[in-house]
Amino acid sequence: MKKSLMVIVLGVLMLSGGWLLAADEKKAAEPYDEDTYGPEAPIVWDKPVKSVVFDHKVHTQGQGLECDSCHDELFSQEAGAAQEKKDFTMKTLYDGGYCGSCHDGETAFASNKRCTSCHIGVRGQARLTGGKDKAEEGHAKD
Amino acid sequence: MRIDDLQQLKSESPETLPSAERRKFLKMGLVVTGVYLSGTVLSLTSVRDAHAEDVVPEVGKYPYGPHYSMVIREKLCIDCERCKEACVKTNSVPVYGFRTTILEKRRAIANGEHETIFMPVLCNQCNRPPCVRVCPTTATWKDKKTGIVMMNSARCIGCKTCMTACPYNARYFKEETRAVDKCDFCWESRLSKGEKTTACAEACPADVRVFGDLADTKSRVFELLHSPETMIWVLRPEAGALPNVYYVNV
Repeated sequence: MKKSLMVIVLGVLMLSGGWLLAADEKKAAEPYDEDTYGPEAPIVWDKPVKSVVFDHKVHTQGQGLECDSCHDELFSQEAGAAQEKKDFTMKTLYDGGYCGSCHDGETAFASNKRCTSCHIGVRGQARLTGGKDKAEEGHAKD
Repeated sequence: MRIDDLQQLKSESPETLPSAERRKFLKMGLVVTGVYLSGTVLSLTSVRDAHAEDVVPEVGKYPYGPHYSMVIREKLCIDCERCKEACVKTNSVPVYGFRTTILEKRRAIANGEHETIFMPVLCNQCNRPPCVRVCPTTATWKDKKTGIVMMNSARCIGCKTCMTACPYNARYFKEETRAVDKCDFCWESRLSKGEKTTACAEACPADVRVFGDLADTKSRVFELLHSPETMIWVLRPEAGALPNVYYVNV
């Protein structure tokens, strides 16, 4: 009796483990469809400060947001259009505008926390586009 | 003394020493070693006196006046590099070098995620500057009044020993002047002309770089370094150079 119970328990565990693993693989293997999830290439803003990234993939495929969660109320469907507006600042985000609509500390991490998640910096952007920093050369100790 | 006389003298090499003489010498050695060893074992430094040395000098014990220093609120840095741009413009820094730059490190955080930390670096204007110690021509020195590590490019012979000595990689050789160049807290370009802060601190949109006089107890740098429950660190403390650029996360 005990033995068969053990077998059942083990079987269930293994089956569910296999199922979870398969689900994980399926998720990773799922092709990225730009019509469903938006442009694959990340958007990099350079105003008001340089090198701030937005990745559609993380928000749509990753977090399950729909296109109309952000378009066209928070952002127009034109890459880089938001940064031409005067109110595209951290202050507006803190007041719930643009990214701050979700990044308020409840729906997603607050706009005044984890700065470098979006502010990938000049270095991060260079890595994204395959650039290199020249200024390090003069300091090389040989 | 002539060589003939020297040849007459008795050899003092170990082979000719009487063994009594050797024993005496060895005994003396053992006594000296014993005294030192037992002294160390028995004295057992009192733990109560073993205070951890702070990286910030004690209040009122700042060697300079004004004691210029910079506090970097590290977690706020977003590597927008406005500081670098301002520095380049203010101090005519060529593209192949820097007086200040941003370093980057990645760190694993919970849930399999990673975070990036940007670390602004510049000359630490050390209280015990290794670069000054090694300069053969006194082209670089510690200013007695402000504590800034100054540079006289006319005296520099370009031997680059200071570049090797600097624990912070804060110096580079400037082709245009045929001399080593470094951050001087904007002394030449701004402070000596009456400005109150450095170009980088002024340009920072995130209020990361705070510049000021540590000897002034009302200054912001003093407040940041002396507010309760604040963790303060410096880069490479083991170098013993006593930096004046401090890092905090507030």
